[in-house]
Amino acid sequence: MTIPVADLADPPKPPMFGERQRFMLLLIAPAVVALIFFQIVPILTGANASFRDWSLHDPKYTWVGLKHYWYVLSDPGFVWTVMPNTLVFMAVSVAVSLVFGLGLALILNRQFAGRAVLQTILLLPLMVAPVVAAIMIRWMFNDQFGIVNVVFEALGLPQQPWLAQRWTAFGVILVADIWLWTPWFALLLLAGLQSLPKEPFEAAAIDGASRWRVFRYLTLPMLRSVMVVCIVIRGIDAFRTFDIVWTISAGGPARSTELFSIYAYIEAFQAMNFARGSAAAIIGAIIIVVLAMVVFRLLNRWMEVSK
Amino acid sequence: MTLASPALALPPVRSGFFASLAPGGAKVLFALATIAVAFLFAFPVLWLLLTSLRPESGVYYVHRGTEFTWHNYVEVLQQENILKAFFNSFAISTLATILSLGVTVTSGYMLSRFRGPIPNGWFSVIYVLRCVPYISWVLPLFFVTRQWGIFDTYWGLLLPHVAVHICFFSWIMKGFFDGIDPSMEYAALIDGCTRWGAFFRVALPSAIPGMTALAILCWLYTWNEFLFALMLTAHKTPILTVVMAQFVHELGMEWHLMSATAMMALVPALIVTIFGQKYVIRGLRV
Repeated sequence: MTIPVADLADPPKPPMFGERQRFMLLLIAPAVVALIFFQIVPILTGANASFRDWSLHDPKYTWVGLKHYWYVLSDPGFVWTVMPNTLVFMAVSVAVSLVFGLGLALILNRQFAGRAVLQTILLLPLMVAPVVAAIMIRWMFNDQFGIVNVVFEALGLPQQPWLAQRWTAFGVILVADIWLWTPWFALLLLAGLQSLPKEPFEAAAIDGASRWRVFRYLTLPMLRSVMVVCIVIRGIDAFRTFDIVWTISAGGPARSTELFSIYAYIEAFQAMNFARGSAAAIIGAIIIVVLAMVVFRLLNRWMEVSK
Repeated sequence: MTLASPALALPPVRSGFFASLAPGGAKVLFALATIAVAFLFAFPVLWLLLTSLRPESGVYYVHRGTEFTWHNYVEVLQQENILKAFFNSFAISTLATILSLGVTVTSGYMLSRFRGPIPNGWFSVIYVLRCVPYISWVLPLFFVTRQWGIFDTYWGLLLPHVAVHICFFSWIMKGFFDGIDPSMEYAALIDGCTRWGAFFRVALPSAIPGMTALAILCWLYTWNEFLFALMLTAHKTPILTVVMAQFVHELGMEWHLMSATAMMALVPALIVTIFGQKYVIRGLRV
């Protein structure tokens, strides 16, 4: 649907730094200034701090080299709990939301009474603050008065102290995240479904292809690029999840459900060692930026191949 | 409670399983699955609403009580801190929306209309900066804003929020302008309009529908945002999401007040969901 865009009235022989370049730079100038002061300067400050002795109660600001990086990278908590948690969280949250979202998109793509109502309900989680969602889920999974345990009791299942055990707490966080993000996948995939050409489906119907084969060999391959874009965007965001974890478990019990952002925050502001928190934050940033660049390269190559 | 699989089970099983049912069976199953999905997604909000309407002692047996009361809302609204938090969140969201859109509309226009090293470089910068986790720059921002004397003020939260939005919104704005035919701008340029004139008088008005959608989303993102508010504000400028999270950790037992506050924080989301659907769906298309 995009219209090919040509440059606005190129001058016959563009000078290196002419009126056109000045216009371009002026257009992005406000954004550049805001980014420099409120993103790049802080990132550099953090990077600088991560090489220094910078605790919150007694900062000496002396250069200590890679000490904090060694500390974080040899902290069993970081290596064996935080990073696996973060990666499992990313993978499970994205995979489950994608599958549910695809199912919902297929439902919404049909005409039936109540379709508008369903779509309205699905929009709601997208608009709800993660903090509010976390509060709701936390209340539902409250071990004494939560509705989930009430239902469990009625069904004769053992009641669980949901937030007091590592894996149930992690599961509750995942449920909250999946509740929040499934509708996002559903709506984007629905938009993708609605923009697919009709002819292949008509041809398949004439050939008497079963619904499963239509889905497997037509819908899925044609939706592939939309799905990949969704996975990449959501994957990058899932890596930095903070608010729902903070509100549901605050990384507990015993720091066992910490994700990478929570770890950096706790090291910096509860263990009061800003330098160590910054080092952890930089390590995480490097991991995800490298990952994102690799994915970007792969995507570029792969999209060209598929065209 | 799991977000169970009716939705998921439908497409794969359909051909074999549904064929074996009576003709009406498939329809009934489909309807049941749809209702189950709607129920699962609406339930947390409904449950919160129900809890917020129960008296203090009633929250411990929400599922079988019959008394209802408005009292929780009244009590919450009497707390000065919460009122201030509502006002602050509202003001910051509105100002951040105006600033963010103002800054990103030109940047998106640039990305859409020009080719060459400058747009390519800018695009790479945006892509990389968007991937940097928030925590990596919000931790040091705590010190940076203190040094600049804007910690715990409107500016100290507003400007970082604008920076958060720049990368993603520039990209979305580019999409809006890509969908607008540039030939009108050429015409304006040939007729003697300046580049700025072509942008403000021709391109900008046609981007208004897209920008409205983005404005609604931007307002809600800022209203819902937690990490930056947690780090960059303290007692002087309470922000709603932070106040609510404190509620959970410090006054963990007062679920009746908690849910009343959360319900009120949900009101803008409910309004947008019900009245602004068309715009939101348009704005979400990446």
